[in-house]
Amino acid sequence: MTRKKIMNDINDNIDPSLFEFAEYDETKSELTGYSNYSFWKSTFQVFMKNKVAVALLILIVSVVLFTAIQPYLPNQKSPTQIYINPETGLQYRNIRPNDPSVSENFIFGTNSIGQDLWARIWSGTRTSLFIGVSVAIFEAIVGITIGALWGYVRKLDAVITEVYNVWDNIPTTVVLIILTYVMKPSISTIIFAMCMTGWLQMARFVRNLILIIRDREYNLASRCLGTPTSRIITKNLLPYLVSVIMLRMALAIPAAIGNEVFLSYIGMGLPIDIPSLGNLINEGRALMMDPNQRYQLFFPAAVISVVTISFYVIGNVFADSADPRNHV
Amino acid sequence: MSNKECLLEVKNLRVEFGKGKQKFVAVNDVSFNIYKGETFGLVGESGSGKTTIGRAIIRINPAASGDIIYNGQKISGKIDKELDSQVTRKIQMIFQDPMASLNERAKVDYIVSEGLYNLKNYGSEEGRKKKVEQALLDVGLLPEFASRFPHEFSGGQRQRIGIARVLVMEPELVIADEPISALDVSIRAQVINLLSDLQKKKGLTYLFIAHDLSVVRFISDRIAVIYKGNIVELAESEKLFANPLHPYTKSLLSAIPTPNPNVERNKIIEVYEPKKSHFDYDSNRPKWVEIEPEHYILANDRELEGYKKIMGR
Amino acid sequence: MTNNEKVLSVDNLVIKFNLRGQELTAIRGASLELYKGESLAIVGESGSGKSVFTKSFMGLLDANGRIESGSIIYKDNDLAKYKTEDDWIKIRGKEIAMVFQDPMTSLNPLKTVGKQVQESIELHQNLQGEEAKKLAVEILNDVGISEPERRYKQYPHEFSGGMRQRVVIAIAVACNPNILICDEPTTALDVTIQAQILQLLKNLQKKYQLTIIYITHDLGVVANVADRIAVMYAGDIIELGLSEEVFFDPKHPYTWALLSSLPQLGIKGEELYSIKGTPPNLFKEIKGDAFAPRNPHALKIDFEKRPPYFEVTPTHKARTWLLDPRAPKVEPPLSIQKMREMEVKRGERLE
Repeated sequence: MTRKKIMNDINDNIDPSLFEFAEYDETKSELTGYSNYSFWKSTFQVFMKNKVAVALLILIVSVVLFTAIQPYLPNQKSPTQIYINPETGLQYRNIRPNDPSVSENFIFGTNSIGQDLWARIWSGTRTSLFIGVSVAIFEAIVGITIGALWGYVRKLDAVITEVYNVWDNIPTTVVLIILTYVMKPSISTIIFAMCMTGWLQMARFVRNLILIIRDREYNLASRCLGTPTSRIITKNLLPYLVSVIMLRMALAIPAAIGNEVFLSYIGMGLPIDIPSLGNLINEGRALMMDPNQRYQLFFPAAVISVVTISFYVIGNVFADSADPRNHV
Repeated sequence: MSNKECLLEVKNLRVEFGKGKQKFVAVNDVSFNIYKGETFGLVGESGSGKTTIGRAIIRINPAASGDIIYNGQKISGKIDKELDSQVTRKIQMIFQDPMASLNERAKVDYIVSEGLYNLKNYGSEEGRKKKVEQALLDVGLLPEFASRFPHEFSGGQRQRIGIARVLVMEPELVIADEPISALDVSIRAQVINLLSDLQKKKGLTYLFIAHDLSVVRFISDRIAVIYKGNIVELAESEKLFANPLHPYTKSLLSAIPTPNPNVERNKIIEVYEPKKSHFDYDSNRPKWVEIEPEHYILANDRELEGYKKIMGR
Repeated sequence: MTNNEKVLSVDNLVIKFNLRGQELTAIRGASLELYKGESLAIVGESGSGKSVFTKSFMGLLDANGRIESGSIIYKDNDLAKYKTEDDWIKIRGKEIAMVFQDPMTSLNPLKTVGKQVQESIELHQNLQGEEAKKLAVEILNDVGISEPERRYKQYPHEFSGGMRQRVVIAIAVACNPNILICDEPTTALDVTIQAQILQLLKNLQKKYQLTIIYITHDLGVVANVADRIAVMYAGDIIELGLSEEVFFDPKHPYTWALLSSLPQLGIKGEELYSIKGTPPNLFKEIKGDAFAPRNPHALKIDFEKRPPYFEVTPTHKARTWLLDPRAPKVEPPLSIQKMREMEVKRGERLE
């Protein structure tokens, strides 16, 4: 049998010694398909590719840091003190930002009773962020715990579903209003009220996700190995939900801030002596029609927009990048 | 195999899904024994109930009626904690789809040690690491793979991780549910070899569930053929291949693909038509009979006579 | 194979995909000729590129994939240069049709089965209304659906898996194509049904003079239907020959491994022949023979230089340096030799 090479010609000048057997290493052949992969590293890499999200992340971190250190900076005014013009003995009412005709400097101006808007905005942002983050963390802890049990433990399903149905049929707004009405208006009241309603949605959300992955083969495998339910939930189920839960939490913060604004708007929010973004916007809203005083609405609205949009975008991009399907 | 020790007995097992009108009988009155050290093949098409039987034995699916007896002790229904943990250790399962059966978010180290954490029988952390390392070596993987995540591995490697996770439990009975059908052809032989190698070294007993008769024939000592929730025939592998009696077994055997174009092109397939073969089942119910030693068949009196005639020849 | 008329000829095709900034070479310079009326089986494992290869004949590559170089000549047109959907509309269905693995996903659950076949006829065969319906019923009958008049009015969910696959085949045939590509047509089906579907395809091939490309990993299917076999590994055709040549006289070590790892050829109680390791990572550039790291018979040159095709017979060629006259002689694994001997004996017995 004569053999012909098709594509190459025979005078190819190949060193004949190359036609010896190569050493065969079994372990090497095991490595051929291997890729170096780490979940969090890939998540980070994919996240960093989105320039908008990175910029917003830097922005929101700066805002949070600034609210924390702002009171300790030099030349800061009190957010609650009413400033009096020493010359006239009257309050500094509605002074426009950086008004040169006034001897004292108000960066964002003052409100209608002579309080410093700059200090009030940062103080309000601090309050609102505190409310938002507290509510989000509480929602996450309670919602995930109950949602996980609800989804995974079949015996609990019927009971929790009934509780959910009853609780969910009372409109959130009504619960919020009643609770803030019954209790003394304060930051803790408003946090409590929002937590009472917020965990419900989180729990249902986690439950639905867990139902989807509960009967996958790897969970059956864990059951065959005798793994206790608590460890199946923490090791097998929740890690799969990290990205979506983070997204929910990121969205819960602006939602809670928004709720606070809403409650303040209908007069059920924090007492006026505690500055919050809700109170500030409510004050500003009253003056919206006067072009000269619109700045009192504009500044708090700008801060709340920045905070809300940042959390929203960062949450979404993070959820995408934490999904292994988006990793190479 | 003269003095065979019975490891697992399944007696009149019935498994149902759903309730009331939607009730569906997945496994109907199935009985068989598995002897210590053998490979027992369970063959059937999709939806035949073969996987359900495996899952009933490992107690994922509850038995509606009938008994499952392991080493003389009843393990179906409610059992005490002591026996439960004992059975968990001794009966283990290898799953079909290596892509779905490993926890993607855990490292190989955790996946393989999962059973050890449950049993807490490894002594020190050092001891656990040693056991994991040994299990990985046993399945032909490098111990350094322990620190990696499953999705860095190919299907065949992942299936071997699944086998390593079973091995650390030091089981006696391993239920292998279609362990190679999701793998590529070139990888299947690796896993088959590994399974028979482990059987020899560790004296394992296998319940090998598959739809591919050629694989089952290669690996099994005895084969049970299941059709729509009923086992229709059970015999030693070579006996079953040489002398199939039930029309469904015949039809399955005739359909086995052969890697030979000249044979394959002229292949004639026997079609199984239950209504035609078993026209009198309404009046003459079939029974599970031992037609000759170690050869069982589901048949009624009329069919039995016919089968006996064939065998007499 | 009496006919030597080429219907499709692929030359040195390179297909690349972009995945998140990284480039994957799915097809690495594969060439193939398809003759009128034949059945060609493309065998390979998942990731070998067999589906991508044939999808490129119909412009069905995913959006992130592209033909980098090479040509696909069909009726004097180079399909590799087709860009727009308008170009492809003329090819898809009418010239080349495809049957997919999972019948449920390729049928519209909201339309009756008959209507779906009829639409295919109306679109591709210039027949309308009653005439098209009549032909649809006839085709349903051809694909082995009994009582086609009644079944015409039923919906896909009323059909069993095997019957659904028959409907999918009917729709493909109704386009009256030249070439039919069957992508794992029986993988989702039970063995007994599988054999029936293959028989059906063979019958239709005769009746409608189809050229069929089977894509499969199942060597039993291949033995049953194929006139010629192309073995793919890591995006390249590494062996190509008549069915008998590839089964009884394979030359590439990968083909050896594929065949001899079949349990049908094993001896009970002994080890099955197996290849270690896993297929290569296509994100990395492959140097030399892609199979070399897993090949116990690998030569030093396999790691240096990609082997060319060596012709074994005019119909049989393989890409392996083992066929070079300078290479040491390597015997195929025992099971391959055994199969050949058994076949010779069987032939003698028949005579």
